[in-house]
Amino acid sequence: MAQIALVTDSTAFIDREKIKKHKIEVVPLYVNFPDEVLEDGSIDNALFFKKLRSSPKLPFTSQPSPGDFVKVYERLVKEGKEIISIHISSGISGTVESANSAAKMVDPSRISVVDSLFTSGGLAMMVLNASSAIDEGKTREEIVELLEKMKRNTHILFVPNTLEYLKKGGRIGGAQALLGTLLNIKPVLYFSGGRVEVFDKVRTMKKALQRIVDELPSSAEGLQVGILTAETSPEHIRMILALIEERLPGMMVEKYELSPVIGTHAGPGVLGLAYMQHF
Amino acid sequence: MTKTSQGNVFLSGSDLRHMILEACNYFELYKESINELNVYPVPDGDTGTNMCLTMTAAAKELQGVDSDSIGEVAKITARSSLMGARGNSGVILSQLFRGIARGLSGKEEASLSELGRAFQYGIVYAYNAVNNPVEGTILTVAREIAKGSREAIQKPLEIIDLLRIAIESGRKALDRTPELLPVLKEAGVVDAGGLGLIVFLEGCLHSALKRTAEKEGTPYLGEEGLSPLEIPDKFENGISSANDTEEFNPSYPYCTELLIKGENISLPEVRKSIETCGDSIIVAGDGELIKVHIHTAHPGTVLEKCLEKGSIHDIKIENMIDQYNETRWSSGKQDTYKKETAGYPLKNEFDSNLKASIGVVTVSSGEGLSAVFNSLGTDKIISGGQSMNPSVKEIVDAIMDAPAEKIIVLPNNSNIRLSAQQAAEIVDKEVKVVDTRSIPQGIAALLAFDRKKTLAENYKQMSERALQVKTGEITYATRDATVNNITVSKGDIIGISDGNLLVRGDTINGTLTELVNSILAEEDEILTLFYGQDVTGKEAREIAEHLGEKYPYIEVELQYGGQSLYYYLLSIE
Repeated sequence: MAQIALVTDSTAFIDREKIKKHKIEVVPLYVNFPDEVLEDGSIDNALFFKKLRSSPKLPFTSQPSPGDFVKVYERLVKEGKEIISIHISSGISGTVESANSAAKMVDPSRISVVDSLFTSGGLAMMVLNASSAIDEGKTREEIVELLEKMKRNTHILFVPNTLEYLKKGGRIGGAQALLGTLLNIKPVLYFSGGRVEVFDKVRTMKKALQRIVDELPSSAEGLQVGILTAETSPEHIRMILALIEERLPGMMVEKYELSPVIGTHAGPGVLGLAYMQHF
Repeated sequence: MTKTSQGNVFLSGSDLRHMILEACNYFELYKESINELNVYPVPDGDTGTNMCLTMTAAAKELQGVDSDSIGEVAKITARSSLMGARGNSGVILSQLFRGIARGLSGKEEASLSELGRAFQYGIVYAYNAVNNPVEGTILTVAREIAKGSREAIQKPLEIIDLLRIAIESGRKALDRTPELLPVLKEAGVVDAGGLGLIVFLEGCLHSALKRTAEKEGTPYLGEEGLSPLEIPDKFENGISSANDTEEFNPSYPYCTELLIKGENISLPEVRKSIETCGDSIIVAGDGELIKVHIHTAHPGTVLEKCLEKGSIHDIKIENMIDQYNETRWSSGKQDTYKKETAGYPLKNEFDSNLKASIGVVTVSSGEGLSAVFNSLGTDKIISGGQSMNPSVKEIVDAIMDAPAEKIIVLPNNSNIRLSAQQAAEIVDKEVKVVDTRSIPQGIAALLAFDRKKTLAENYKQMSERALQVKTGEITYATRDATVNNITVSKGDIIGISDGNLLVRGDTINGTLTELVNSILAEEDEILTLFYGQDVTGKEAREIAEHLGEKYPYIEVELQYGGQSLYYYLLSIE
């Protein structure tokens, strides 16, 4: 049986150590500033957000080209491997399309492209769980099936500090309606069918976080939980961790930073929650 | 009116029609006096106006009617008064008419005992309209009127005597309302809706006296001692409409209602058999159909006892402690949408279908507030509020106009809830009324609205959310009063929070600051101020800035509300 290689994209933003340890291939998206094009994740996040804040124009982001995928796929196929390529939701990025085109060019029989319907921590959980499944000796078909199950059991909810970035980036989907409101509102957004939709609207950060944490299952059994941050206020992080601890005492909570590409859309100050149960 | 050889008096359709027209005119004379009096001296005591408009709606319709069938006239009265019903007292009045119409259904004319029995139906409908009936209100007065009349008609008598007895029983009950309802006693007043009902009956008496005089060819010069408005002297602090007060005895938490069907059932026996089971007992109806209402600790026992009298139907048992705000105004209709997993729609494609299926109808006044409601996705705004309660018909029209099959109604005023509930019951659409009692509660509820969710989920979520904000109002006192140990004089600025009078002051800004101070808590994060039409933008900005400096840990958001009567509406979260 051929060895299975995992490919994902930079928006999963899995830390370097794990990437190395699990031999995960990462294809980057791009952030296009007026003066330079950055590969997602190629610079330190703090530096990136400094640049984002001082940029006269909001940068636009772009998906990897099919060529970017072809390079990686060809190399892996040449090494005799089968490929599972798991990516940011097709509802907010064209990355899956690029991957599909590349797979067709290289060898569709050896490559499974999976639309995760999520990104960031949700995508990262799927990739890392798939990696464990490879270690357990599961086949490509079995793992793809497992990933389908994971998709159904994954949730991401988040509260942007401001809607400005989502609005400028055009990735706001169902949250569009909120832009015209007269009141100061803290929207709670979520991934629904691969798109960003409004989950709820409240007036204060505390209520928004409570609302998010209330969605967590009441049992920690088979549960993976992570918080998603990007230049998030430490006070808000403490607040959500306390709420999670209150709901699920002793729960291990992973911390996922948003990649610059996702950070560009969600905006600095965002705070989110990703969780997956019983895939 | 005709008399049979046995001396029985019969009432015709034209008698009833004449009575209601006359009562309507008569009521008009006293409505302002009723309006001016309220437990809380806020400028929204509209009980008189609301009842008057309800009667006027019926009178208008009746003017063009020439049927002499009492059943027909009663039916038209019921239907038109329901459509025109405004405010809680108006709705209850319309329900009395509805019950009377049922009792008189199909009759050309009615004997006094038939009329009395029809009035019993009226009581049943009125109590039914209020899922959690409160004693010490118009309901008590109506019930005692029915009781007094029932005893009276055991003997042959004239309609005039019957009405006099009815009025006398009503007045006795009215005098007792402060004993039944602590909020009335505290304010030293009687119930305004109950008084309204008595005034209505006095109007009917006028009509009967006039008719009799006409028939006898003697001039009618009016009746001595009819005017009810010696009452303000007797009850210095005025009169209240207290239908909104939810008082119940916690040792009898189960509100149990049912119908008993059978033959020759004795009402007193039924009453006696359940007397020891609880309080707030209503046993009404006739020997074939009896409505039972009781607050009890043992609903099972009540059911068993009723079962001994006949078959039991339409059983409803509610835990009143849970009931608070949850199901009180629910129409009991079922949702056809299946609950989706954890609020997540399974497929995105369904969204567009669902979008068309749930809409929101909101009662609002003031262009700024209406703009806020619009921006949050309201489908239809009914203009109205403190100074003017919309009629059932206006709410019905808005519900029908809203481009959705299922509708959430936000009344945003405790006095509009019942009208909204009545509207919900007559329309063809599936409607839930979320019990929002103020504009800030309405906004909080609307924020939780989600078209992707089912009607039931939205109702639950919105009801919960409405209660999670603290609200406040700055207005002026419409008369001298002492409430919550606070003595206010006419014209004073007053601050109210969640229905309670908390502060009085001489200036708007001073009162606002004091009110904020008394309701703000450490955990609060945002104070939203909606300024009304009597405050300038500059004044509002200055006080908002002042509050922001005084409480640096909260965010102060200022919005133009444009509402009348209320200088500021505030919401704190």
